[in-house]
Amino acid sequence: MTLNLCVLTPNRIVWDSEVKEIILSTNSGQIRILPNHVPAAIAIDIGILRIRLNGQWLRMALMGGFARIGNNKIIILVNDAEKSSDIDPQEAQKMLELAEANVRKVEGKRQTIEANLALRQARTRIEASNAIS
Amino acid sequence: MAMAALRREGRRFAPLLSPRPIAGVRSSLVSEEDAPFGTRSISTQVVRNRMKSVRNIQKITKAMKMVAASKLRAIQVRAENSRGLWQPFTALLGDTPSVDVKKNVIVTISSDKGLCGGINSTSVKISKALHKLSSGPEKETKYVVLGEKAKAQLVRDSKKDILLTISELQKNPLNYTQVSVLADDILKNVEFDALRIIFNKFHSVVSFLPTMSTILSPEIVEREAEAGGKLGELDSYEIEGGETKAEILQNLAEFQFSCVLFNAVLENATSEQGARMSAMDSSSRNAGEMLDRLTLTYNRTRQASITTELIEIISGASALEG
Repeated sequence: MTLNLCVLTPNRIVWDSEVKEIILSTNSGQIRILPNHVPAAIAIDIGILRIRLNGQWLRMALMGGFARIGNNKIIILVNDAEKSSDIDPQEAQKMLELAEANVRKVEGKRQTIEANLALRQARTRIEASNAIS
Repeated sequence: MAMAALRREGRRFAPLLSPRPIAGVRSSLVSEEDAPFGTRSISTQVVRNRMKSVRNIQKITKAMKMVAASKLRAIQVRAENSRGLWQPFTALLGDTPSVDVKKNVIVTISSDKGLCGGINSTSVKISKALHKLSSGPEKETKYVVLGEKAKAQLVRDSKKDILLTISELQKNPLNYTQVSVLADDILKNVEFDALRIIFNKFHSVVSFLPTMSTILSPEIVEREAEAGGKLGELDSYEIEGGETKAEILQNLAEFQFSCVLFNAVLENATSEQGARMSAMDSSSRNAGEMLDRLTLTYNRTRQASITTELIEIISGASALEG
């Protein structure tokens, strides 16, 4: 029994194939989805999506969105998604440093929130690119 | 000009002299339309000038058509990619245009530039019809307008109903972040029970159909879900990942709105380019036809003037010989 997983962003389809199981991070913790899951609608936070197929775990960085689980069919809609193989570690590290510096120096509620979000996104990308799983 | 000189002479000599119209005055003020076949009343210069301007217009419209065709190709790809985004929402929440709500907000999407055929007028026509349909005793309908063209048309008679207008959407290439900021703005400043987005959906290069997408506010979604029907399936879904179900539903509705708006804006932009392409194409063809007709007139005029000269020369020569 396999799950049919589709990861969509506004610009393109990032992933569309059969997988064995996935681990999502939501606003209230991490959830593991196995085949024959009950139908559910899940809000996804900025975090890592782990996909298992052929005994291997793959990571993807997701920037917040929704997942809908039908009968063995998962559709994930996110603002942005990057596969770990597409992320360049040096570039991700640089973005992280930039984001950290930004967080320290901004003021104003809205900018702080945006800077924090950028920081979390940068951290997620680094985590995804360090995939040893 | 000869007539004016005659009038001046008339005034100098006697007021009794009435200026009689002289037939066949060579005047450059006579327009082409008054020239039946064979009179000497038009000059080739006029026709040549007209041909030059028509030819220029034809070149411009041909260039505009090619520009629109190339832009169309680029944006069509993006519009098709963004279509996959709202389908899961429709599957989950349903697109129910017939739900009866008190506060409707109509989001009309149009273009900023003109010369794109009739798409903006059809969007505005449908918006107005929808406004009429959904206005009633307790209900109210307001507009949010995207794009200059619809704004110009709607401001004329529904100025008090327009909540928000946004223009120059396409100054920077369209991307999701920009549209989601826009969606956020709209959601913050507008209170609604249902949002109806009106745009032109791109089916093919020659067919753009005005389409309406409906987004219901979270409270209405809850109400309908309890009432059963298509949205009743929503209840059978477990909702996870947040404190309360209402919070998730609200997030979902907002996300749905920004995705659907993104798709609608892209589709409208694609339709705009397609409509511009076909409008410019038909105007180039018209210019070509006008040019053909003008060329015929030009040749006739030219031949007529040559014939006239010949006649004058020959009759002058034969008069000399006696």
